[in-house]
Amino acid sequence: MKNTSHLLDLIRRSLAGPLVDEEDFNLKRVSQGVYRVVREYEIRANPAAIVNQDDELADRVWQAALDFLAACGVYCQDTRRVILYSREEIEARLREAPSQVWLGEGTDACLEVARKVEDARVPLNMGSPIGSPVAEELFVPLMQSYIQEPGVDVTCAASLMTVFGQEVRTGSPLEVLAAWHEADLMRLALHKAGRPGMAWTGLTMSMSDVGQLSAAGPAGLRPGDMHTFGLISELKTNFAILNKLAHAIRLGGIIDPYANPIYGGLGGGVEGQAVLIAAAMIALSAFFMAAMVGSSPTHPFNFNDTGPEVMRAASLAFQALARNSHLMTNLTVTPVGGPGTRTLLYECLAFTVMSTVSGISRILGPRSATGSIPGHFSGLEARFNGEVLQAAAGMERGQAEQIVQRALSKYADQLDKKPYGMPFQEVYDLDTVQPKAGWLALVEEVKKEAIGWGLPLA
Amino acid sequence: MDPTRCEDLRSAIFAGDAERGVSAARLLLAAGQAPLEVFSGCIQPALVEVGERFSRLELFLPELMGAAAVVNAIQEVLLPQMQGDASQATSGRIVIATVSGDLHDIGKNIVKTLLQVNGFQVRDLGVDVAAERIIRAAEDFKADIVALSALMLPSLPYARDVIELLQGSERYRGRFKVMVGGGCVSREWARQAGADGYGDDAVEAVQVAQALMDKAGVPP
Repeated sequence: MKNTSHLLDLIRRSLAGPLVDEEDFNLKRVSQGVYRVVREYEIRANPAAIVNQDDELADRVWQAALDFLAACGVYCQDTRRVILYSREEIEARLREAPSQVWLGEGTDACLEVARKVEDARVPLNMGSPIGSPVAEELFVPLMQSYIQEPGVDVTCAASLMTVFGQEVRTGSPLEVLAAWHEADLMRLALHKAGRPGMAWTGLTMSMSDVGQLSAAGPAGLRPGDMHTFGLISELKTNFAILNKLAHAIRLGGIIDPYANPIYGGLGGGVEGQAVLIAAAMIALSAFFMAAMVGSSPTHPFNFNDTGPEVMRAASLAFQALARNSHLMTNLTVTPVGGPGTRTLLYECLAFTVMSTVSGISRILGPRSATGSIPGHFSGLEARFNGEVLQAAAGMERGQAEQIVQRALSKYADQLDKKPYGMPFQEVYDLDTVQPKAGWLALVEEVKKEAIGWGLPLA
Repeated sequence: MDPTRCEDLRSAIFAGDAERGVSAARLLLAAGQAPLEVFSGCIQPALVEVGERFSRLELFLPELMGAAAVVNAIQEVLLPQMQGDASQATSGRIVIATVSGDLHDIGKNIVKTLLQVNGFQVRDLGVDVAAERIIRAAEDFKADIVALSALMLPSLPYARDVIELLQGSERYRGRFKVMVGGGCVSREWARQAGADGYGDDAVEAVQVAQALMDKAGVPP
């Protein structure tokens, strides 16, 4: 539960924790710490399965993550100190965490609730390219293409590549103007789509605190919108992040942060990444007072999260969270494929089925074409993703595994080919803001195929 | 080359055991092996294998860092004995940094470590590093290559500043090759900005650095 007392306590610990060299934090606390708990808690994932089927293993990941986080802490780069909470303090904070929250306003408002593994309730659909870069002139129609979808519940802004034609620089006045411009354009997109009260988050391109905070007031983000920030990989914060947090708490805002552990990085392989993901989600809730916590675990070479190793780690980590806490959790689907490709749809299908049965409360994205290719995303893939959420809710993990494996077999060999597809303006009619026939037909073909695999799509 | 001692050295590199690696290297030298032969016949093949296994994600960053630490420790022992041959034992000298306004370091650290295991001498300046500091460090380190990382879009202009400062200065123009990479950097951006090379990921970054050192250069 967020409050000023907890905030002051966090700040105090960031100023008084053990002084540690950053390299030592990386190697000794994070890397060696993860390897230790993976060994001690006998974390061994089934290399043949994507969707975890082993409840005891998920529970050991939870215990390992708590043990690891209490020993490791979170590093504050500005003070070079480690923010530490004991395991008992962490568990007490987790008990305080909310299990549901209203997002948005009026008839566009929706309720996010914590879910369990194989839960029949449908996760929320945050349809959005999640901070992917977009040309200024395409921002409104592109965001409208997501917001207008009935199956989209909440959204998140794309990142403007320019503001009034000028390239944005971190920490400059242009970053302030860009944050305000984004808020203005989001309001316009919400109104054009006829869903003015839909909750959104954004201002993600503002890396500095001054950029984000300038528009993170009621005239930019409203009380029902979400405030976000990301931990720096792995388990690091700084004053800019704490400034954003302090501001959000004083505004009474909904805190919706993320952390994206890197596969093959300091945590090593599947087991270590699962522990790191779970620990980071726990830290966001217990240390940073998040209302909900999220991740897009990242592959080091393809920059996606739809490969088998990363999905295996995510499934294990999020089942650990769903089985052992009442946290609201979310995953961002970050496919390699872009609009107009089958690869994108198969990736969304596999990842979203895995996420739904693993107990997330909200799916984010798709952040198509790894979120790095300007304008290579569209609202239609969020419509598709929402339909997959509906179909996968309540499904047993065994059936989910079969569907995920079928989908994976269709795209696994495409991941390092990076089929980024087509830009928004080639798959959508810009006058009507509707998908073109070719892109729609491809979606229908893949849906029919997935129905044949046993996914009950409408 | 004594295959048993070479295997000891190789095994120490894979285990990240610097003490055992240095000891094995000393034994090879004591047996009359030339330092350069130890590098080219024993260390270099092991490092190539480490790099390849990381690129297939059969090894992970901690193991990569361990291998790099072993090689650094061995180099401290061997380089003083190599005199004129020393330059042949390194692939090149690189200054690497995440540019101003960007605090992300793990991708840069992966690139740095993979460069190290491929024989490059790397000075890591960390994150949020100003253009002037990068250039001064490149001069001080006698770098062949300046490697710039940027994850977030609004930090890209600061990467361009480094290239512009180098190209606009009579003192620095042509002295260092510049390679760029990171989440928000594209091949097209690198070409437009005037970078000498672009790496889409850590594996390609090593290939680009090697091509730049071959003086053939690579189009970004």
